[in-house]
Amino acid sequence: MAKRRDVLKAVPLLAMPAVARAAEQLTVWHDMGDNGTKWFQQVSDAFAASHGGTTIRAISYPTDQWFGRVVGALNTDTAPDLIYNNYERVIRIANETGKVADLAPVLAGITDKAFLSTDDLRVATYKNRTIILPVQRVQMGFGVRKSWLEKVNEPFPVTWDDAKRVAEKFQAGDPAGSGKGSVFGFALEAAKPRDLIHMLDLFTFGAGLRHTLLAPDGSVTIDEPDHARVLEAFLRVYATDRLVPPDTVNYSFNEMYQVIEGGRAGMFRVGDWNVGKWTAQAIKGDFTVGPWPAFFPGKPGNVVIGGMRGVAVPENSPHKALATEFAAFLLGPQAQQASLKMVGSAVRTDLDTEGLTEAAKRFAKPAWPLIAYDFPESVHAYYPELEASFHRKLLAAIAAPPPDFAPFIRQLAGEMRESAKALAAKG
Amino acid sequence: MRALSREGVFYLFALPFAALTVLFGLWPIVLSVQVSFTASATALRPNPVYVGLANYATVLADPVFLASLARTLLYTVLAVAANVGFALAYALLLDSKHLARGRTFFKLAAFLPVVTPDIAGYVVWRWLFDQSFGALAAALKLIGLPAFGGIASPSTAMGAVLIAELWHHAGFYVLIFLANLAVCDRALTEAASIDGASRWQAFVHVVLPQLRPAITINLVYAIIQFLKTFSVVVVMTKGGPADATNFVSYYAWQMFDQAQYGQATAMASVLFGIVVLVGLGTYRLSDRGRA
Repeated sequence: MAKRRDVLKAVPLLAMPAVARAAEQLTVWHDMGDNGTKWFQQVSDAFAASHGGTTIRAISYPTDQWFGRVVGALNTDTAPDLIYNNYERVIRIANETGKVADLAPVLAGITDKAFLSTDDLRVATYKNRTIILPVQRVQMGFGVRKSWLEKVNEPFPVTWDDAKRVAEKFQAGDPAGSGKGSVFGFALEAAKPRDLIHMLDLFTFGAGLRHTLLAPDGSVTIDEPDHARVLEAFLRVYATDRLVPPDTVNYSFNEMYQVIEGGRAGMFRVGDWNVGKWTAQAIKGDFTVGPWPAFFPGKPGNVVIGGMRGVAVPENSPHKALATEFAAFLLGPQAQQASLKMVGSAVRTDLDTEGLTEAAKRFAKPAWPLIAYDFPESVHAYYPELEASFHRKLLAAIAAPPPDFAPFIRQLAGEMRESAKALAAKG
Repeated sequence: MRALSREGVFYLFALPFAALTVLFGLWPIVLSVQVSFTASATALRPNPVYVGLANYATVLADPVFLASLARTLLYTVLAVAANVGFALAYALLLDSKHLARGRTFFKLAAFLPVVTPDIAGYVVWRWLFDQSFGALAAALKLIGLPAFGGIASPSTAMGAVLIAELWHHAGFYVLIFLANLAVCDRALTEAASIDGASRWQAFVHVVLPQLRPAITINLVYAIIQFLKTFSVVVVMTKGGPADATNFVSYYAWQMFDQAQYGQATAMASVLFGIVVLVGLGTYRLSDRGRA
């Protein structure tokens, strides 16, 4: 009986700290998995020290769920304090809800921001509003299995012809030692519209071109000679070169990662966020990373800045003032240093890179040519719909390759011009 | 008075279940239909903007949706015929007096896939169909047969999905047929045989009419099930390749994923209408034949 009384006495004592903390806790929804959550935990400790004990509760959702949950929460006034994701997803959230706060005054109040480039600020702006504070630049390089290159006696491929030659050697030489015919040159994906176009983006921007499908003035670019050349090479990898697993047409990110981490492909995309895991686990550092293959003489290959992860504050954030303070805090040296360590990317250029792995250092202090996406969805609201239709046409061509790709690309360009015109007229 | 009181007690006991059915069964359907009349961006707000039939007009003018609908109907016809036909044949074999041994084993073989989690089953099928390391491709190569495109080719993907679903669902239909066969009057078959009927004639004119209840249940259930095909597509093909398995449920889900709630629920409502009409129609047709 005495024991029960003691327990009952203890209940309010146990509950008190939780109640007190709940009043000073900000919630952030992101999609960066465990590493992202650990990063927020580290930043939370630093923020609490300077902001009266205010802590951060970070919840990671798979990207698909994140989008639906955020739209639902913002539209029903059950929003978290902050949301964190790639800029283009925040644009969609802003379009679907109209409830993403303009952070222009917050950005104006930050004095230490010289490290933000014009491109960084451009992607943070949508319809003349600063919808995110840019926090992590997303870089994507071209990775190759280091031990495989040594086994086939090849250097890191610099041109597309080099890459194809290496891919063929990988497939013929069985560098993984798992039996001939068990490995492929490249790991790519194609299942969903964003999957295939994302891969094409890497080929296109990596080659130094400025637009995948649409220029800022709304003109379709795919049949311009250089674009057509890259597009044809890209389609042939899937359709006729037989340098990817035959089931790639059904691969999304998960399956692509299974191919990479399972040692079934020798060349693949390496995002800055992959480096930590692939160094410590998975492929255990057996990769080297560099720019995407070059297609044109005198035009080097590039590492692609594929987006910008940033923090946004919903208009109906339960603690909006505190949330904007935390958003600004993410640009500070402590949060940025932790970001570099935990997630592999940041926007500040004055961070300490000692202690990072060689691959992580290459992303942290890039010495390779960099090129940024053109972010057409921030200019043309109809772009996602046009892109989905583009994807369908490309997939149909991969599934049933035309005898000659050149006329196919010309015809496709014509169809895309018609679609773009119709979609633009529809508004 | 006593009868009324018994009725009252009945309704009293039935009320909680009726309330739960309305709350969790009908209310979500009503809400879904309601969302289909709203602008997607406002669908989840307390005061959504109603757009009348605009979402339905958009959906019905979308060539991808129309192709998806046609594909769903074709797949349903093929899958229902394959599943119910296979299940009937399998149940008749299991019920045959010529099957001396292994009856329990064959029953288990048919029914175990039904209780296997569908996601796990379909992941294994995806691996079986894989062109580079799949067992099926290896087996065909070993015996010198031409390769089967499986889920990697638009011309074979629907067939591959159908095979995986046949494996997963047919056992349930077999079970229904076996239950019906257990109560069939064997004396009628014997009498037909004595009267000179061939085995085929006895099957068509004596056994099959007695199986009408099972056929009706299986047809209606299979039609509803295959019109709504979803999880196999998510796991195995993601609607591809080149939209070859992009059925209505999956396409609507893609729309949900893009936060196009109005159009997604309009698609779901169209599918719901078709499911109800076809299901009821099939039931009525079978029932009329019975009378």
